Amino acid sequence: MKNTILALSCIAVLGLSSCSKSNNSTPTNTDGTAEAQVITDFVNVVANPNYIDIQTNASKLNDAVKTLVATPTQANLLATRQAWKDTRAAWESCEGFLFGPVEDNSYDPTMDDWPVNKVDLDALIASNNPLSVSDITTLETTLKGFHAIEYIIFGVGSTKKAADITAREKVYLTSLTESLYNTTTDLRNSWDPKSGNFSNDVLTAGKGSKTYATRQAFFTVLVGSMTAICEEVGTGKMQDPYAARDSTLDESSFSHNSTTDFKNNITGVLNVYLCKYNGVSGSTSLSTLVAAKNAALDNKIKTQINTAIASFSTITLTYEKAIYDQRAQILATQAAIATLQTTLNVDLQAFIKANIKD
Amino acid sequence: MKKLKVIGVLALLVLVLTKCQKAADFPADKYDDRLSGGFATVFDITSHAFSNMFPGMATYDQEVHAFGDAAFNKSFVTAPAPINSGLGTIFNNTSCISCHHNDGIGLPTAGELQSSLLVRISLPGTDAHGGPVAVPGYGLQLQDKAVFGKVPECKVNITYDYQTYSFADGETYNLRAPTYTLTNLYTAISGSYMLSPRLAPPMFGLGLLEAVPESEIVAFADPNDANGDGIKGKANYVWDVTTQSRQLGRFGWKANTASILTQVAAAYNQDIGITNRIFPVESSYGQSQYDGLKDDPELPDSTLNAVKFYATTLAVPARRDVTDADTKRGELLFKQANCVGCHKQTLTTGVNVAFPPLSNQVIHPYTDLLVHDMGPGLADNRPDFGAGPQDWRTASLWGIGLFQKVNNPGYYLHDGRARTITEAIMWHGGEAAASKNYFAKLSKADRDSMLKFLNSL
Repeated sequence: MKNTILALSCIAVLGLSSCSKSNNSTPTNTDGTAEAQVITDFVNVVANPNYIDIQTNASKLNDAVKTLVATPTQANLLATRQAWKDTRAAWESCEGFLFGPVEDNSYDPTMDDWPVNKVDLDALIASNNPLSVSDITTLETTLKGFHAIEYIIFGVGSTKKAADITAREKVYLTSLTESLYNTTTDLRNSWDPKSGNFSNDVLTAGKGSKTYATRQAFFTVLVGSMTAICEEVGTGKMQDPYAARDSTLDESSFSHNSTTDFKNNITGVLNVYLCKYNGVSGSTSLSTLVAAKNAALDNKIKTQINTAIASFSTITLTYEKAIYDQRAQILATQAAIATLQTTLNVDLQAFIKANIKD
Repeated sequence: MKKLKVIGVLALLVLVLTKCQKAADFPADKYDDRLSGGFATVFDITSHAFSNMFPGMATYDQEVHAFGDAAFNKSFVTAPAPINSGLGTIFNNTSCISCHHNDGIGLPTAGELQSSLLVRISLPGTDAHGGPVAVPGYGLQLQDKAVFGKVPECKVNITYDYQTYSFADGETYNLRAPTYTLTNLYTAISGSYMLSPRLAPPMFGLGLLEAVPESEIVAFADPNDANGDGIKGKANYVWDVTTQSRQLGRFGWKANTASILTQVAAAYNQDIGITNRIFPVESSYGQSQYDGLKDDPELPDSTLNAVKFYATTLAVPARRDVTDADTKRGELLFKQANCVGCHKQTLTTGVNVAFPPLSNQVIHPYTDLLVHDMGPGLADNRPDFGAGPQDWRTASLWGIGLFQKVNNPGYYLHDGRARTITEAIMWHGGEAAASKNYFAKLSKADRDSMLKFLNSL
């Protein structure tokens, strides 16, 4: 994992700390009511509803596949593709806060590893090996999850037709989507107060949480995750195919959904910052907290997030074509994301350190 | 004249700065205790604490590090494929990150998706270079996974025997003793063989350890226990494939690898099945799993070099709570117990012309990089060059207090048998028996202080 700007800002810290022994004055505690509300709203308005949506959409995807398998019409294939895109959208937006069980329990690679192991996947389908849900569990992560499903329902170049789907593919697809649903259920349960209840680790940050000793520690992680997804999209997912001029390096190349994936990732950042998900807003957001003490910074962050999101609409071709024919638009979008990333990692992190003391 | 003046001032500045940075001229008590990795220290207590690059690297170096980082995360797939081609055919896992979760220590399971434990195997005796003898049909490492249509070499089974013990004050601890057995061998092994389980270790600080002068490490060795403290310690000289020469082993649980480059290249080859310029032959060569493809080396040299650079430039997390009274008492007890007989607090890196940020750093890894007899309880009974049947390299302790944060719940020792630092201490034996006994006899408050100190690292 990379942390370029953190590295730079550490020089300053190092330089200062090595010059003289630290004698920081005791920080003054605010009453922390607003901070507590930001955390509560993040958990109840953004995180849990987003995880519930992934699970709900994955369930619909599994249902759509069952319908497709029973009645393999082109309309049912299109409905399945749409259900995949809907599940994908919910997943991509939650990548704006990729910490906790999704990371600790490896739900991320289980659902979203890439690339697909096409050679093995084709061989597996051609074989007589069992393809039940429990068989899927033991498969390598490059043989399941979003992109294996994508490969079967879209095909290379999105050319797959309902009539092309073989009997074995139908069995595999059914198990794959059920397995995906199971993982989204595990993920949802990991935050559910009635189950794993990671929500409580977040809600009690600085007040007995076993994961976050201070609220500042939690906010640092939260902003760190917003920064990380900017970096992953801007310098990884967008950059690799762009730099190599190779569309096989696009993450969702079968569905031509890459640009939407990227945009939803950055929308995830917006959701966290504004504490907003699916049209529902929390009473207090990170934005509220920043605006109260530094309105200029709040405006800067909001503008930069919106600029980055809007910039994706300039990429009108599929990302697979845009890497050849809309290179300027890609470059401009990457630049907007990089600017946002720096602001989050430098300005917003500095704000957290300066203002959240408990 | 004016020009001369400027030059004069600049020269003075250089002199002053040089003087400041010279380790020997800088009094020890002026160092900030938090800077475990010297200048290559980062302040991060999140689950990504082991994943930061060195602070202050040049932009170009940052780019190479980032490239290596991306490669470290990439999953390999079966050949032929347009990208990340060449998995296996037999392997332990599909990417670097799938064992080194968050660049930290892994899960002590084998053969599962996120497993981080591999098992080395060999026959009795030594090979032409003094190393372990490969098992025909298996080599020196068991690959317990295979691509579609190929057979894994075996299944590794791990069972634990749990025993509860108690300290004099009644506090209990539980030690689980593992047993490793092989089933589903794809072909018979004739005669007796030796196994050694190895858990994926944390990735940070390796560049600094590589930069410690050999003379400094060798000076710690006391093979005849001349000072009578019960601690010997010896340097493990190993055959290094990269340089085709005998070198001091520094890396790996038995210090059987001389350099980061060799370590990275061997892991690609043996753990993932990716051939490269250092190890251009498939691990399955000569076996029924061999793919016979003319695609070797599968890893571009630029990727190998970038991942090597990535592993070299992962920064060390800073200590916490260094001014806390209990922590300080724990540190004192750690010294009184002579844990520092092996876990050397301070090392100083040499001059590295190729990469100056590694030069002249005063670091606190808490290791002597030597191998020690750790007693029968921990023994794998499988010699590895100069490391004997009961020998293990002193584990570095920097970052140990963050294992739980980075790799929840956190595991310790070469095979992850210990689930807490207390368990890890109580597994010590051999040269470390006296220090272990010292810890065991401490009051609960003092044991807690020592643990607090260890958790501050």
